[in-house]
Amino acid sequence: MTLDITQVYSQIEAMAGDIKSRRADYVRRLDVALNTLKTAGSAQDKLKKKIDRARTTWLVAGLREPIGLKQPAAKCPDDYAVVASDGSQIDVDRHHSVRLFLLNIGLVCLQYGSRPEAEFTTLPTLYSDEERLFIRSDDGKQAQIEGPLLGLKRDIEECRCLADRVCAMPAAMPVVGLIDGTLIKWKLAGQRYEDFVVKHLLDEGLLKQLDRFQVLSREKKAAVASYISFPGSADVVNALRLHLCPYEPVDCDKYCAGKFEGRACDAVGGLADRDIFRRLLSDGERSAVFCSNSSIIKRYGSHKVCFFYLRLDDEVARVEAPLWVADSSELLETVHALVAEQCRKGFGYPVALSEAHEQAVVSGADRAQFWDVVERVMLEGNLETGSSLKQRSKKIRWI
Amino acid sequence: MDLGKQFAEVIETSNSEFLAQCYELDGVPALGSLVKTRSRDCEIYALVYASGTHSIEPGRRIVARGQGATSPADVFKANPQLAKLLCSDFRALVVGHDRGGVMRQYLPPSPAGIYAFVYSCKPEEVRIFTGSLDFLSLLIDSRLPVATDEVIAAFLRLASLTHQAPQEFLIKAGQGLAWLLSNDIRRLDSILKRLRI
Repeated sequence: MTLDITQVYSQIEAMAGDIKSRRADYVRRLDVALNTLKTAGSAQDKLKKKIDRARTTWLVAGLREPIGLKQPAAKCPDDYAVVASDGSQIDVDRHHSVRLFLLNIGLVCLQYGSRPEAEFTTLPTLYSDEERLFIRSDDGKQAQIEGPLLGLKRDIEECRCLADRVCAMPAAMPVVGLIDGTLIKWKLAGQRYEDFVVKHLLDEGLLKQLDRFQVLSREKKAAVASYISFPGSADVVNALRLHLCPYEPVDCDKYCAGKFEGRACDAVGGLADRDIFRRLLSDGERSAVFCSNSSIIKRYGSHKVCFFYLRLDDEVARVEAPLWVADSSELLETVHALVAEQCRKGFGYPVALSEAHEQAVVSGADRAQFWDVVERVMLEGNLETGSSLKQRSKKIRWI
Repeated sequence: MDLGKQFAEVIETSNSEFLAQCYELDGVPALGSLVKTRSRDCEIYALVYASGTHSIEPGRRIVARGQGATSPADVFKANPQLAKLLCSDFRALVVGHDRGGVMRQYLPPSPAGIYAFVYSCKPEEVRIFTGSLDFLSLLIDSRLPVATDEVIAAFLRLASLTHQAPQEFLIKAGQGLAWLLSNDIRRLDSILKRLRI
């Protein structure tokens, strides 16, 4: 039996009713947030100090520009390029006797101006040897690359392919490399992964690739940024919460332990940053640049992640870039202009990222064909091709 | 085989027709053009009866992008990816084949090869091919998903221009059609009306 939608229907109706009843509350909170943004803006230095000294349980945006800034996009250069990468994967399947995973990276280079050109590339790579299926430490520890770890590995490969292509671009042409999703690898924070895993994926992985972009940016107008559509983050809202907090220095555990409502800061609680900037910004405008205070960012050095919100036709996106991009007004302006123009061409989403996704996507049919080919080649080589009985029962749906 | 311009490739094939994808966007030949390709044992001649430009992926719909642009070329300039995402193709009805230097105006023993290159026919080849009008019965009897009479008329109009006396060629073709369509005067009349150059 599949999902019985008739049974769920009444629950969906109840949910919609609940959301509707909270609508007035949402509008009230949003009004408070926008007013708070104004007052916080006129006391920005004070808020900055408050943020620096605060001990909170949530992520608070670091302030770099006036918090209520609204910046229109500059004009795009006459000739420029946007390179984007995206990826998908076939994960290790423990129901198959062969241990492997596959990464499929889609790479798109779009050149605009006097010589418009498009280049689409798909780079599938199979990982099946022990050396590449595990991350290993010098002292004999190992972590198998699968599940969430494979997602992180994919992010790094996307960034590596992007850096390769951006490095090969002509020097005279301004170029922005675009990645889908966040640059903040917060999953690597905390105790979840051992340090050798973090070192491999972050220090020797993502950050090494960002180094390549930074070196390149010294030779030509080249930047890297990542794009998050419909972001759920609330770093700026949390900064407003600090502004509303009556305690100095702010210390959530000390003054408000166990409280989830009724606090002064709850007047703007439950909002996302996108809610505020959707009301504040006009089409194509960016917000102030903020910096992330995620704990993993401490490892990022000069690549400390900064971000701004970008108002597009009907939504607000979050654009992240390393500190060295945010520090250069020229690169920041280029990223803003090019990403806004990409969204305009792509009906609200960067066209280069959209096409990179199309190149990378591995459909259910592709997956089935991949495993069929693996089994056929194994059989031709007289190698064992066993799969689990559970896997077989999924293929042959008997009654 | 005297090759004309190689401009497309066969991507779907059968004994009676083939589908070919053009190398250039909008590079489809005119309706009724004679084109040629190869099977494993002969050269195949075919008539273009349908053509178009569409998304490479069936699931991706083309949307309007030209608001504010001054020409369709501007749309391509501002969106260079489009040339990679769209393709032009055409369907051609097989009307004859050349085996060992002998032209035969009936279906070949084997279909055009998949990925076989497609060439345009030079005016001289069209003139030689239409030296005989035996292929007209193939055309008259074919059941195409487009108006067959339009294709026949388009082909004869184009072919007439390769002859020294186009009008005489069209009169001869009209006589051939009159014999084949002696029991369908309405259809004959419809085609003849479309033969005016």
